[in-house]
Amino acid sequence: MSTTQRILPKNVSAADFDAALGRFRETLGADRVLVDDEQLAPYTKIMMSADKEDHIPSAALLAETTEEVQAIVTVCNEARIPLWMIATGKNLGYGSAAPGETGQVILDLSLMNRILEVDPDSCTALVEPGVTYQQLYDYIQEKGYKLWLSVPAPSAVAGPVGNTLDRGVGYTPYGEHFMFQCGMEVVLANGEVVRTGMGGLENSTSWQVFKWGYGPYVDGLFTQSNYGIVTKMGLWLMPEPPAYRPFLIQYPDPEDIEEIVEIMRPLRISQVIPNAVVIAHTLYDVASHRERKEFFTGEGSIDREAIERIKQDEGVGEWNIYAALYGTPEQIEVNWKIVEQAFSKSGKAKLLYGEEAEQASASFGYRSDLMRGNMNMQEFGLYNWRGGGGSMWFAPVSQAKGSETRDQTELAQQILGKYGFDYVGEYIVGWRDMHHIIDLLYNRQDPEETRRAHACFGELVDEFSKRGYGIYRVNTGFMDQVADTYGGAMRELHRTLKQALDPNGILAPGKSGIRL
Amino acid sequence: MQHTTTLPPRHLSAYRLGALALFGALLLPTMASASEPEAREPAEVYRQVCAHCHATDKAVGPVITNAFPEAAQESWGTYIQLTARNGRAAMPAFRHSEISDAELKALSAALARGELAEDDGGEE
Repeated sequence: MSTTQRILPKNVSAADFDAALGRFRETLGADRVLVDDEQLAPYTKIMMSADKEDHIPSAALLAETTEEVQAIVTVCNEARIPLWMIATGKNLGYGSAAPGETGQVILDLSLMNRILEVDPDSCTALVEPGVTYQQLYDYIQEKGYKLWLSVPAPSAVAGPVGNTLDRGVGYTPYGEHFMFQCGMEVVLANGEVVRTGMGGLENSTSWQVFKWGYGPYVDGLFTQSNYGIVTKMGLWLMPEPPAYRPFLIQYPDPEDIEEIVEIMRPLRISQVIPNAVVIAHTLYDVASHRERKEFFTGEGSIDREAIERIKQDEGVGEWNIYAALYGTPEQIEVNWKIVEQAFSKSGKAKLLYGEEAEQASASFGYRSDLMRGNMNMQEFGLYNWRGGGGSMWFAPVSQAKGSETRDQTELAQQILGKYGFDYVGEYIVGWRDMHHIIDLLYNRQDPEETRRAHACFGELVDEFSKRGYGIYRVNTGFMDQVADTYGGAMRELHRTLKQALDPNGILAPGKSGIRL
Repeated sequence: MQHTTTLPPRHLSAYRLGALALFGALLLPTMASASEPEAREPAEVYRQVCAHCHATDKAVGPVITNAFPEAAQESWGTYIQLTARNGRAAMPAFRHSEISDAELKALSAALARGELAEDDGGEE
């Protein structure tokens, strides 16, 4: 970087930073210490409404081994240099690969990309943070293992470690990814390496099969946090079932969300429908393959007339449920009858599977892929809906109860409408909860629209949390605001843990609102 | 451990393994050594990364496999490299650690020459 534009870590002098960079080069080699503008440019691409100037790194370090991570941490402790860790760096719409604060040094773990073990008998894997889902998928295919992954929508370019640590979700029965994580290796801020669960035993045979180990269970401390650097993670893989039936249920009216959720909840809790089901609104469904301007060119958010036209012309429901059955053909037939019976009572639902579903819905193919953990990034078509590269995922949690779902939908539509944005939303159904996922799409190349999106997102956070609807995950521009909604006692507990585990505050200061 | 692998070779070809600063007392053994740097073929990079959005049947991003006239290949290749590194609108930026300079250069040249055009897309 040029002298006049040089970005430094907060409270670190240029001389001290240069000295630290020298030490990083001794450990990593000059090629893996990035300081030039051109090299750092990819780390500054963001989709959120925050000011780009607030998220520029001073350098990026490319570690290849746990020992190198230890060495980096030691230098950072001595020179008080803040790190911002990324795995594959594809947390798109949540901050991507950019640091939480300008001046932080990116610790890029994408070169730690070894698949250390896949056990086809126990159906487990142990991987490093840089392993992408595509890489793991290819490996499993190459070996001929009958194992399925669970992937989020960015599938191929994202990876299991980063996604799980940010508590992301997929769409298979293993869709709640942190639930299916088992064992970690973590570099602590003091340079020590700890293996969680059963991993502390030398020659442990059960690190990837038994989560709890002995004593307090600590893996959760290293998710959505800045208490350590996860350098290895175990996860469970789903055995390929003998049969698979993805299906689609369409409902025509806005208020139908109540009926859908009331029918779905017992089916999910009893595991008749075992996967992380999606209930997608008209606009979420159509936006993956069509553009907004084809249907609406007026001012403000898309109107009801246009939504009705989309439903009519595109054969899309107001609500579109994508779910699947897994097991033997006999099990699937039995469960399908239960599903059919449950959803046929009111006469409003249209149930489809196989070719009928494929013909009815342009999204069915990619949804079917995601519900079996295949690589498919079709959902990124959402970004073409409005264009301009602005996207922020607003992600409140809802109980799986119809009345609450209707309230959340209406509240979101009202706030988005006030700012002229569209409700492009879906629910991802857990067992008893649902992730209400709304993509706030805006034109990031338009400064006025970007400011409006920023204000809109802030109001969504405020209004939802006031009603008891907490946000489970947020982009790096809104971490403090969301942390505040969980109360002072929780923030203080997080801070106490930070002081104990990272007394110099070198690991991702500000992540999830946590600082010294 | 069984089924241990060192794949795929995504390390930067220019990289060398630096002298490791080891902190012995706290060090736990690792299970695999770093793989040898090796560049992926353009077709493999395209399949693993680009095709998910740019393939004709995905249409999330524009088709980028059409051949350019010879005189324009170099400038088109440069444009591809800049776009991959910086992102553009909704397209994410891809870092040197994900696609090495050597891989990107070979990829952009292959794309500009139309070597990765899809057979069934009628795009050639």
